Amino acid sequence: MQKLLIYPVVLILANSMMLPGQEQPVKPVTAVNVHALGPQKLGNLSPVVVPPGNPQSSSKILLGKQLYFDTRLSLDNTISCATCHDPAMGWSDAGPTSTGISGQKGGRRSPPVSNAAYSQLQFWDGRAATLEDQAKGPIANPIEMGSTHDVMIRTVEDIPGYVEEFKKVFGTSTITIDMVADAIAAFERTVVTTDSPFDRYVRGDEEALTRMEKKGLEIFNGKGHCTLCHWGPYFSDGRFHNLGVAPTDPASPDEGRFVVTNDPADKGAFKTPTIRDVALRAPYMHNGSEKDLDAGIDLYNKGGRVKDANLDPLILPLSLTKKEKEALVSFMKRAMTSTNPEVSGVKPPSVSDLPK
Amino acid sequence: MKKFILYSITVLVIAFILPVKTQAIPAFARKYGYNCNMCHTGFTKLNDFGQRFRDNGYQIPGQEGKEKNVFDLAPPLALRLSFGHTLYNNDEGTASSFNLYGLDLLAAGVLHKNISFLFIYTPRIDEPSSIFSGLDSINSNPSQFGRLESANLVFSNIIKDALNIRIGRFEPGYHIISSKRTYYLFQPYEVYLMTSPRNNYTFDDNQIGIEATGHFQGGFKYAAGFTNGTGASADNNNYKDLYLSMTQTLGKGDGQSAGQRIGLFGYYGWQPLTLPGTVIATNGQTNGSDNKTFYRLGVSASANWKTLNMQMIYYLGSDNKALNTLDATKNYKFNGGFVELSYAGFLNNRLIASAMYNWVRPPSYDSDSEVNAYSALCRYYLGDWSAINIAIHAEYTHRITGGATKNKENVFALALDFAF
Repeated sequence: MQKLLIYPVVLILANSMMLPGQEQPVKPVTAVNVHALGPQKLGNLSPVVVPPGNPQSSSKILLGKQLYFDTRLSLDNTISCATCHDPAMGWSDAGPTSTGISGQKGGRRSPPVSNAAYSQLQFWDGRAATLEDQAKGPIANPIEMGSTHDVMIRTVEDIPGYVEEFKKVFGTSTITIDMVADAIAAFERTVVTTDSPFDRYVRGDEEALTRMEKKGLEIFNGKGHCTLCHWGPYFSDGRFHNLGVAPTDPASPDEGRFVVTNDPADKGAFKTPTIRDVALRAPYMHNGSEKDLDAGIDLYNKGGRVKDANLDPLILPLSLTKKEKEALVSFMKRAMTSTNPEVSGVKPPSVSDLPK
Repeated sequence: MKKFILYSITVLVIAFILPVKTQAIPAFARKYGYNCNMCHTGFTKLNDFGQRFRDNGYQIPGQEGKEKNVFDLAPPLALRLSFGHTLYNNDEGTASSFNLYGLDLLAAGVLHKNISFLFIYTPRIDEPSSIFSGLDSINSNPSQFGRLESANLVFSNIIKDALNIRIGRFEPGYHIISSKRTYYLFQPYEVYLMTSPRNNYTFDDNQIGIEATGHFQGGFKYAAGFTNGTGASADNNNYKDLYLSMTQTLGKGDGQSAGQRIGLFGYYGWQPLTLPGTVIATNGQTNGSDNKTFYRLGVSASANWKTLNMQMIYYLGSDNKALNTLDATKNYKFNGGFVELSYAGFLNNRLIASAMYNWVRPPSYDSDSEVNAYSALCRYYLGDWSAINIAIHAEYTHRITGGATKNKENVFALALDFAF
């Protein structure tokens, strides 16, 4: 109980210390695995928890932003993080799955970077425990950025501007993959959306939602069964579920979380994505098989698209009427879309602004 | 009749225009932050997820061990209350009254991973009245006697999904269609109350004992148990009654709100003729002798189409002739059942409309016990996204009892039914 009381106080202190432009490192906050506690009420997001090993600073965030948008991190200088996690596309891409170097197609939909700081595990199958771990993955993935960590580091070391910035942030001109990942993760922790009409409604603005959106919220939290998994301020339980999604290749279905855990119960299970800003990033599901929100709701309403022996017990037909589906779409479309200018307005640095 | 119509229209109109908003949340909804329709088609009837949640020992399937238990929460207490106005009419005249219909005090939650509990106490409501001159001659007119309706522990997933054990006083699994979670406040499932003259077992009662339940991916479920068969009382003999219930759901769903479900159930019990017997133990149990057998055997079905649900039960009862004071040469045999059609409408099932037919067919020499009851109800729910926990309830029943001489009754009630 004492811990619970201390936790919000520490968070508030941490937040107040993260003023723009301040260089002093933020006091580390121990991560608390809120998802271990089971369903939480829908509400406003708390400040991001910063891991003790990677404190935020404005110069690190700026460096991370430059790296995030820099295609030179890929083998053929064509792909950056932002190629698949584009701010203009809800921090995802057009899909249905992503395109890497040489036009290669990945097997999964690009998960959004916005609010990823709240996710307990990264990637659809949760194979990375932190944003830092996640950031290292695509660089060395042969069909994403197609490079290796060593090649990428040599590339960055050959750019004097980066060497100078790394020295400023990390105090050394010897660049490592961990530093690159730390900087990118620091930037990603600033990509947080907190000002949706839903957030304003929860803060007490009764007019923030239309009548239809309020009905949609009610269904979301009731008959629609959405909050069984999309719960808490992050609108995700951070867990893995088999929803009966139609596989891209029925002959060789994506086994999802099973590949990481080898637990048969995880076959075909994928991480619950957040609903925040969901309307910005159609198509949906881990393979982009549902083209829009209507189709996504239809999948749930039917209790899954395909028969699957491992179907999650939470997936049941919902008997939603046409009006109820419209109300749900209405809630997710506008009420969950944030207007944070610092996030929605993020523009890639121009080439001339990237380190040379 | 005009009064009836005018009365109901006025109340319903007021109900629909009142901008009522409440923060009241029952125990599970409070724990999870969900509104009632997560688990209920409209409270009190469980939907498929609610049924799975109950089957899993009040744990969300897949989250066993990752949930807040009772020690992480405020005391998981809840209350359900209904009150309103009743008009009753039979061949002799009409009676009108404001009433408290029922009060339940509930506590339920998870104690440890896969160990949960349910407790329901119903206190007596209505004060004893010295001037009461109704059918009950003991100068009291309780519309509800005090009793511990449920008090049980559930050990879930002893074998994952396939074996769960419930111990204590509980609603037996052969109540495939629960009389505790019906929309109807005033019209019981008549056949659940039917029994022969010397048999004090009632199908409707919660029982004390032990029950095993399980569910499987193909939609098969079972419940099997041993009970005293004496409701809340200690046993009246040394035999334990036993039962088995099986259901199969076809299609997706659990048959509550989606999928089509059929079921079979049977109950076999012993009733002593000699009471109390030679031994009366400290806890009240007796070793009543001259035990005679009885059984109940039935089928159930539940069909769903969009937001329309049709559910029915039909069963046969047979009590040994020794229990039959009306004709000691024959076993007392009866049959009966009900068909209930319910529709959920408006956004998030704010409106429930239902019609039900109940019938009981006793042996010809007990035709006074024959029942035909036609009921209809309408419930409209108030609340907001966080809780939908007040129902404005209108219910009507036309009930005909007796064989050669028919007695007709009409009951019309308008009530508020709420939980928090």
